[in-house]
Amino acid sequence: MEFILENILNLIGFIVGLTIGILSYIGFKNTGSPTLFRLGIAFLSISVGFFVVWTGYMAEDFVLHKGHIEKWVQTLGIGIQTIGYFFIAFSHSIKSFFPKSRYLRSVGMLPLFLVSVIHIEHILRSVSFILLVYGAIETILSYFEGKKKGTIFVAVGLSFLAFGEFLGWYSFVFPESILYYVSISIKITGLISLFIPISKIPLTKIKFDSEFKEG
Amino acid sequence: MPKINSDVRMVTAYRPHMKIIGDILATTKDDLHLDGGASVTYLIRKANVSHTRISKILSNLVSQGLLEQVSSEGTFRYKISSNGREFLVAYQTFSRFAENFGLVI
Repeated sequence: MEFILENILNLIGFIVGLTIGILSYIGFKNTGSPTLFRLGIAFLSISVGFFVVWTGYMAEDFVLHKGHIEKWVQTLGIGIQTIGYFFIAFSHSIKSFFPKSRYLRSVGMLPLFLVSVIHIEHILRSVSFILLVYGAIETILSYFEGKKKGTIFVAVGLSFLAFGEFLGWYSFVFPESILYYVSISIKITGLISLFIPISKIPLTKIKFDSEFKEG
Repeated sequence: MPKINSDVRMVTAYRPHMKIIGDILATTKDDLHLDGGASVTYLIRKANVSHTRISKILSNLVSQGLLEQVSSEGTFRYKISSNGREFLVAYQTFSRFAENFGLVI
């Protein structure tokens, strides 16, 4: 059951991320907009992250047969996803998330080398949660300004991903509980919600053309 | 504390460079009755940009083939080109795409 749900989640995450990432990249190539460039990096990273975790599960299922996914693969996938969530938050002009001083930045990186792989996964999940909450709040605020229905779907999608991430982290405290399955189901709902507004945009008339760039 | 009405806030709100370009192209496209093209003064009024800034943007758009520059009675007038129309469609579509994420391109 766990493997099936994880496979569904990671495949949907891969497809949704790849679709939005490619559309953002086409948008960047057509308009030269840096916002679309950041959005493209964000969703392509999310897509690659889900793909890495999915590959890990597939390798375990068909080749390794250890009974659990390799921890470093899961950590790598979640790490790549976190980069994507960072770029979503960054697109909303995140300014004071990291310290400006070079010394503080270098010291801030130290814990990553001092803790084990499992701890890194917990840290990455926590960072993902914070970035997703930030992205969701900013998107909700944008909805109040523009009142566009599509924005609400994206805000709900990011909120569900954040809540799913939170429950997923909580399930480490209570392993083997129903919280894990609820977490995965909520994340799948969040990814579908992210895709709904994108599927309604008429992009068929847009030509892929690298000639036009921002002046 | 002085009150700021919504019109003033709209005028002073930050507009990204891309949005200004979109506004200029939309003005030259929508105002089709301007057969000879739109004058700089008209574009300044419609797109709400300073003369210095719009001059740079217009020369950039002309050099990229998005606008056509027409000389008329000693002044320059601007018309949207077919490339400009395509760019405008792409801009408007991806604007809506980014708005779904609460972003402005």
